Amino acid sequence: MLHVGLAHFLVVAAALFSLGAFCVITRKNAVGILMGIELILNAANINFVAFEHYSAGGLHGQVFALFVIVLAAAEAAIGLAIVLALFHALRSIDVTRAAELKE
Amino acid sequence: MNPLANAQNLASLAYFGPETVLTVGVLSLFVLDLVWKRHPKRVVPLTAAMAVVLLASAVALAISPLQPVALFNRMIVSDGLGTFFKWIFLATAAYTAGIVAHSDEIPSERLGEFYALLLAILLGMDLMAVSSDLLMVYLSLELVSMVSYALAGFRKHDSRSTEAALKYVIYGGVASGIMLFGISYLYGLFGTTDLMLLAPKVRAFSGGLFLQTTLGQSPAAQLAMVVAVVFVLAGVGFKMAVAPWHMWCPDVYEGAPTPFTAFLSVGPKAAGFAVAVRFFGVAFTELRGDAFVNTTTVPWPAILGILAAVTMTLGNLTALGQTNLKRLLAYSSIAHAGYLLMGLAAASVLGFQAVLAYLAIYLFMNLGAFLVVTAIAQRTGGETIAEYRGLIKRAPFTAIAFTIFLFSLTGLPPLAGFTGKYLLFAALLERGGGWYVALAVVGAINSAISLYYYARVVKAMVLDKPVTEAKVAMPGTYGFLMLGSVAALFLFGLYWTPLYTVTQAATRSMLRQ
Amino acid sequence: MAQADRRGSAAQKILIGLALLSALGLAAVIVGRILIGGMPAEGLPAEQRTGLLFQVGRLFELGQPSDFLWYGLALLTLGSAAGVAFSRNIIYSAFSLLGAFLGVAAMYVYLGAPFLAVTQVLIYIGGVLVLILFAVMLTSHIRDVKVTNSALGLGPGAVVLLACLGLLTVVAGGTPWKQLPAAPLTDRTADIGTAFLSTYLLPFEIASVILLATLIGAIVIARKDDPADAGGPPSPADGQRTRAEAPSQETR
Repeated sequence: MLHVGLAHFLVVAAALFSLGAFCVITRKNAVGILMGIELILNAANINFVAFEHYSAGGLHGQVFALFVIVLAAAEAAIGLAIVLALFHALRSIDVTRAAELKE
Repeated sequence: MNPLANAQNLASLAYFGPETVLTVGVLSLFVLDLVWKRHPKRVVPLTAAMAVVLLASAVALAISPLQPVALFNRMIVSDGLGTFFKWIFLATAAYTAGIVAHSDEIPSERLGEFYALLLAILLGMDLMAVSSDLLMVYLSLELVSMVSYALAGFRKHDSRSTEAALKYVIYGGVASGIMLFGISYLYGLFGTTDLMLLAPKVRAFSGGLFLQTTLGQSPAAQLAMVVAVVFVLAGVGFKMAVAPWHMWCPDVYEGAPTPFTAFLSVGPKAAGFAVAVRFFGVAFTELRGDAFVNTTTVPWPAILGILAAVTMTLGNLTALGQTNLKRLLAYSSIAHAGYLLMGLAAASVLGFQAVLAYLAIYLFMNLGAFLVVTAIAQRTGGETIAEYRGLIKRAPFTAIAFTIFLFSLTGLPPLAGFTGKYLLFAALLERGGGWYVALAVVGAINSAISLYYYARVVKAMVLDKPVTEAKVAMPGTYGFLMLGSVAALFLFGLYWTPLYTVTQAATRSMLRQ
Repeated sequence: MAQADRRGSAAQKILIGLALLSALGLAAVIVGRILIGGMPAEGLPAEQRTGLLFQVGRLFELGQPSDFLWYGLALLTLGSAAGVAFSRNIIYSAFSLLGAFLGVAAMYVYLGAPFLAVTQVLIYIGGVLVLILFAVMLTSHIRDVKVTNSALGLGPGAVVLLACLGLLTVVAGGTPWKQLPAAPLTDRTADIGTAFLSTYLLPFEIASVILLATLIGAIVIARKDDPADAGGPPSPADGQRTRAEAPSQETR
C-alpha cells in the first residue's frame, strides 16, 4: 500500500480536479476562476502521463499532455487579455459585478 | 524517423484541400488586412478576398475524393458525414460574411481581422467534423473556442461585449477541462483515444458479445466509464448549448456582436453535433440494420433523451418572458439544441440523419432571423420587441421574411422547419417503445409552447401600431440573403426528398473502422 | 501619490515573494540531494545510494525510499492546490499555484516523463503563472479595491468538492486498471520529437494555427485602439483610460 503505484497518482489527480472544481465554483474573481481551470487541466495531465506509464505504454499520453500544456498557455493568454479589457471597461473583475447582461 | 507515418501524411494531403485553402486564407487575410490598412474603401477588397477564399474552399471541397478513408495516421477521416458538415459550416461562414460586410457593429478598420478569425473558426469546425481521435477533437474544439472568445469580445468599447467574452472564456475553459479529464479516463480504460480503435475495446469491456474482461466486471471500472462519458459530454454539450451547460448562451449571444451571434448559434452548435454523432456513432455503438445499438453499459441514449427533454423545456419556458430579441433567439436556440438531441437519442440511421437535415434547415431559418435582428438593430437602434411594432408598414418584405423564419422555427408546415421536426419525431416513433414516445410527446408540447413567443413577435410586427411611419431601408445584400433563405425554407418544406437522400448517404458513409 | 505607492508596494511584494521562492527552491534542491543523493532512479539498488532517506528506508524496510519523497511531493501539490482553492487573498492563491505546478512537474519526473516536467516548468511557471501574476497585479491594485475574494456559494462548492472527491477517488482507487510489467526508465525525449513530426504531424500543425489565431485574438482584444477607432462609443471609464492602460503595455 505504501509503495507508490498508478492508483496513487490517480487519487492525487482526482483531488486536484475536485479542488479545481471547488475553486471555479466559489471564486468571484475571474483570475481566480482561471486558476481553478489550470488545476483541472493539470489533473487531467497527471492522469494521461500516469496511464501511459503504468498501463498504456507508448507515447500518446505524454504527447496529449504536451498539447494540453500548449493550449492551456494559449487559453490563459486570451483569458487574461479579456480580463484586462473588461477591467478597463468596468474597473472590476468581479464576475458577479459584470452583470449588465441579465434577464 | 518514421517513414511510414510520413508517407501517410503526404498521401493524406490530397484529401486535405479545403482545410489547406482555409489555412492559407487565414494567413493571407491577415496580411491583406495590413496591406489595405489605410485604404479608404477597404470593405470592398477585403470582402472580395473573403469571398475568394470561401469559394476556393468550396471548390476544393467539391473536388475532394469521395471514398471514406482515415488520414494523417488516423487523426482525422474523410467521409460523407464530414463533407456534409463542411458544407453546412461553409454556408454558415459565407452567410455571416454577407451579414458582416454591411454591419455597423464591426468597424471597417477591423473587418480584415474579423474575416481572418472567422476563417480560423471555420477551419476548426471543419476539423471537428472529421476528427476521429479525441486528441484532434480536443484541439479543433479549442481552436473554435479560443477564436470565438476573441470574436465575442470584438466590440471592446462596449462593456457588454467584453463581459460576454469573459463569461464565454470561463464557461468554455471549465467545459474543456472537464472534457479532458473524461478523455483521460477513456485513455486509461482502453489505452487509446482513437474513436475507431475504441469501438471494439468498448464492446469487449462491456462484455456485449464473446469477450469478458476482468476490467469490465469491476463496478468501479463501469463507474469510470460513466464518468468518462458524462465528462466528455460536458465539453461537447457546451458547444451544442445543451442544459446544464447552456448557461453561457444567453449572455454571450446578447453581448457578442450580432453577426457573430448569428454565426455562434449555428456553426459551433452544428460542429458540436458533428462531434457527438461521431463520438457516439463510432465508438459506442455497432450498426445492426438501421439501429446504432449501444455497446456500453452506460445508457447514453437515455441520458441524451433526458437532456433533450430538459433542454427544450428549459429553453422554451425561459424564452416566454424575454423582450430582447437576441436573448429570445438565444433561448430558442437552446430549445433547438434540445430538439436536435432527440435525434441523437433515437440512435438510429434515421435519427442521425434527422439531426443532419435539421441542422441544414436550421441554418437558413436561424441565420435569417438573426439577419433581420441585425438589420433592424442597425436601422432603429434597438433589439427589443418594441422596435418591431408595426414593422409590416415600415419594411413589409423584411417583416414577411421574419414571420416566415419564426414560423419555420416553430415548425409550421409548409415550411422547412416542419420537415426537420417531422424527421426527428419519425426517428423517435420508428424506434417505438414507451420512453421514445414520451420524448416525442414532450417535443410536441414544446413546439406548441414555442409558437407562443414566436407569435408574440409576429403580432407586434403585424398588428401593433408603428412608433413612426418612416420606412426602414435595407442593403441589397440583406434583401438577397433573406430572399434566398425564404426560398430555401419553402423548397425544403415542400420538396425534401433530395435532403433526405443526401443526409441518409452521409450518415451511412460514416467511417466506422 | 498614494495609489502609485500601493502599486509599487505590490510589485515589491511580488518581487520579494519570487526571490524567496527561488531561494526556497534552491534550498529544496540541496536538501533533496542530501536526502536522496541525486535523481530517484529506480534502477539503482538502495544499498548503493548515499542519500539519508535511503539509509532510513533501509533501516525500517518501509517500501522504496523514493516513495517517501513522493508522499512529500503529493502533499506539496495538494496543499498548494488547496491554498489556491481556499485562500481568500488572490495573491496568495497565485503563489500557491506555483507550488501546485512544481509538484505536478515532480510527478512527471516520477512517471518517466522528464521532458514534460521541464515543459511544465517552462510554460506553466514561466508563462502562465507570470501572466496570472501580472493580471492579479494589474487588476487588483490599480484601483482601491479589496484584494480578498470572499467565496460565493461556499455550500454548493463544498458539496461539489466532496462529491467529486468521493466519486473520483472510488473510480481511481477501485478500478483494476490494466498494468504493464514495470519497465526500466529510458529517456524518450527524442522519440517525442520524432512523433511530433511524423505520427502527430497534423495535431502539431493545428496547434500552431491555434497559437497564431489566439495570439491575434488576444491582441485584437487587448491592444490600444487605433486613432481611427477612437470615434466609437465612449466607454464608461474613458477618463481614466490612459492612466489605466499605461501599465498594460508592459505585459506585451
